[in-house]
Amino acid sequence: MKGVQENSLLQEKIIWQRVEPGLEVFVLPKQGYNKKYVTYSANFGSIDSHFIVEGEGGELVVPDGVAHFLEHKLFEEEGGNVFERFARLGASSNAFTNFNNTSYLFSCTDHFTECLEILLDFVQSPYFTKESVEKEKGIIEQEIRMYEDNPQWRVFFNLLTALYREHPVKKDIAGTVESIRQIDEHVLYKCYRTFYHPSNMAVFVVGDVEPERVFTQVSENIVRRGYSRLGEIRRIYPAEPKMPARDCVVQELVVSQPILNLGFKEEEVGFDGERLFRREAATGLVLDCVLGSSSRLYNELYEDGLIDDEFEAGHVAEKDYGHTLLGGETKDPDRLYQRLMEGIRQAQAEGISAEIFAHHRRKLMGEFLKSFNSLEFIANNFPAYHFKGINFFNYLETVHSLTLEEVNKRLRTHFTDSNHARSIIQPKKEK
Amino acid sequence: MSELQRFTLPGGMNLFVHRTNKFKTVLAQLVFHRALRREEVTATALFPAVLQRGSAGFPTRRLLAYRLEELYGSELAAEVVKKGERLLVSFSMELVNDRYLPGENGLLGRCLEILSEVVARPLSEGGAFKAEYVSQEKEQHEKVIRGLVNDKAAYAMERCLQEMCAAEPFGVFKYGTLSELAKLEPENLYGFYRRFLAESPVDLHVCGEVDAAAVKELAGRIFSFPRSGTAEIPATLVRKQDGEVRYVREEMDVNQGKLVLGFRTGIKYGDDNYFPLLMYNGILGGFPHSKLFLNVREKASLAYYAYSRLEKHKGLMVISSGIETGNYDKALEIINRQVECIAAGEVSEEEFANTWQGLRNQFLMEDDHQGLVVNRAIDGELAGLHKDTDGLLAGLAAVQPDDVVRVAREVKLDTVYFLAGKGGGAA
Repeated sequence: MKGVQENSLLQEKIIWQRVEPGLEVFVLPKQGYNKKYVTYSANFGSIDSHFIVEGEGGELVVPDGVAHFLEHKLFEEEGGNVFERFARLGASSNAFTNFNNTSYLFSCTDHFTECLEILLDFVQSPYFTKESVEKEKGIIEQEIRMYEDNPQWRVFFNLLTALYREHPVKKDIAGTVESIRQIDEHVLYKCYRTFYHPSNMAVFVVGDVEPERVFTQVSENIVRRGYSRLGEIRRIYPAEPKMPARDCVVQELVVSQPILNLGFKEEEVGFDGERLFRREAATGLVLDCVLGSSSRLYNELYEDGLIDDEFEAGHVAEKDYGHTLLGGETKDPDRLYQRLMEGIRQAQAEGISAEIFAHHRRKLMGEFLKSFNSLEFIANNFPAYHFKGINFFNYLETVHSLTLEEVNKRLRTHFTDSNHARSIIQPKKEK
Repeated sequence: MSELQRFTLPGGMNLFVHRTNKFKTVLAQLVFHRALRREEVTATALFPAVLQRGSAGFPTRRLLAYRLEELYGSELAAEVVKKGERLLVSFSMELVNDRYLPGENGLLGRCLEILSEVVARPLSEGGAFKAEYVSQEKEQHEKVIRGLVNDKAAYAMERCLQEMCAAEPFGVFKYGTLSELAKLEPENLYGFYRRFLAESPVDLHVCGEVDAAAVKELAGRIFSFPRSGTAEIPATLVRKQDGEVRYVREEMDVNQGKLVLGFRTGIKYGDDNYFPLLMYNGILGGFPHSKLFLNVREKASLAYYAYSRLEKHKGLMVISSGIETGNYDKALEIINRQVECIAAGEVSEEEFANTWQGLRNQFLMEDDHQGLVVNRAIDGELAGLHKDTDGLLAGLAAVQPDDVVRVAREVKLDTVYFLAGKGGGAA
């Protein structure tokens, strides 16, 4: 199966092909760029710690932080590490794990074919030994410690623990120092065999390359490994109540001023695809209209010194969970919380006008065009949406199909008194 | 590769047009140059924020934001950057190239007009900035100065450089001090801003798929604010380290200690030894194949990150790593050993070749990023090194392994700074 998607506004096209047994390969040619950027992603993130694979025995529960640990260890191979092989070609490689996916990537200017081969090879060649797994624990422990001192990271995760009672999205992506101690080579192999099957993965290539040559190369690499079909993966998530677990979580850290994060939990989950994308786009538009830098609320809060220009508002839409987050540093987190709630209620009562709606759609069009300068933006986002059954390329079409009524309905229903929670970081008092 | 054309506009402004067709946007960056002076730095860092609060034509932040959104989400940003002992104040405008917007034209002109309006026509009352904006922005700026501590790695880096260059202008924090901030009022800040605008050398960079002659015409017409003379900017002092190594330890309630080592290289961008130094830094700590990453992280499992980088206009190099407080001695020993190794000539053919490839890759990739294209031109102007990508690659290719060992012997440790967790192990 293959195809081409064109976007006349972006003046870009994506050529795609499915390589058996089920690996989706996408190429977005960028003429004139020196850089080539490739992601090879698995639909496996920190929330996938409980699952069952059809035909492979019973349910499996793995320690928190396995997806991230696996990401670190795939770079190791017998007698060396993968960084060295990329380095010889002048390429740089990296990887990241989030709640839902793990992506391996490289960027290069020369030797593209050799680099792509290394990427395909190393992600498909796990090599875990008892010693190497033990040695990695010290490195990941320092990564966890680094985040423990990062106030923005802490305020965010504390909010997730307030919003969610059961769902694993409330847990740190890297796990904890304690949970990673339980990880061994056996559990890594088990997760690897399940989630790194081609049918659970995607390759995205962006740069000045020849798409047909990419498809041929990927196909030859996959075919020679003789994969058998993988049974369906069923991810098991605990039943999550609609209401947040707690109203507010407070932590003290060495910071110059408090930080507030305010979150609104999605009450209706369990679907993906176009319907989810549409709701995500509508929420983004609502946030822009109500809390964007030209909104009345934002400017009043700024003038009163309750927020600074790093104040952010964003929405996350996944199949099994979703939330909207607002916040930033503030001199008075209680006052800011109160003012945000009042401002949102006022916006709900007034509604978004047709003029403001059209104004922000135009702005989003410009922003989306701008983001296509970045090869990383394209290749990091596209696969994540693809795994949710969404074509990220169609974002503007989706935005343009939204109606004012739909956006106002979203404004009225998503922000309620009962679905929100807060997280606050307070400056630690010197003892 | 982008094609660079330079012009001098009637008012004395330098115009640099970087023409390239690979971007969907146009970046216009107005860059003012100023000597880095302790007594001026706070005002220099504050006034750009006041300018963005309102101009004669857009008297509130909200009106300005609305207009920029209307222009397809064009983004206006101000930034203060320290390059050696010189402070650059940049106002940049990033906009969609209207070739991508059906039925649109003239967007660049409209955006340049806003840029000029914000920079040169502030909202003023009786020879002063609007008092309310100044007091609000002073409060925001106070948070910026105090906020340095929130990012522990950045804090440790800044503290190391401050300690190391305490007696030099470079040791000045680019956002200034609370005591200087307290002295700034709507009148004296406005007076400073007017002098700054009139005297500071200024460049305009425009990067994108544009016509150089048309940009020249537009810029000449739009950026016509009065200018008088040109303020002197002394050359950055590049010192060699000759004294004892200083050790500074600070305690904080943190989970991870931050170790920063400051070195003097005596070599700045534009010197003959710069490319060998760049190779040296790459071999030591610029990449995942470098000595620091392999030995501190991969072999000893002491850290998640360990890298080195250059401050190329001041002739400095810093090494940074996040470690368990109790592992200070062990980590310092391993880091020092890597530095000594290179000076003793222990650089393998593979390390050399990989670093060369990696740097070559970085130079080529800079062409794909508008901000980096402009930044390279600014660095080149400062150093008198007018090289395009091919020129830089040629400079890199000329470096021999012996050159790296030769510069390694010039690089001297000056200051070791450690941000230690409270109650951590011995130092």
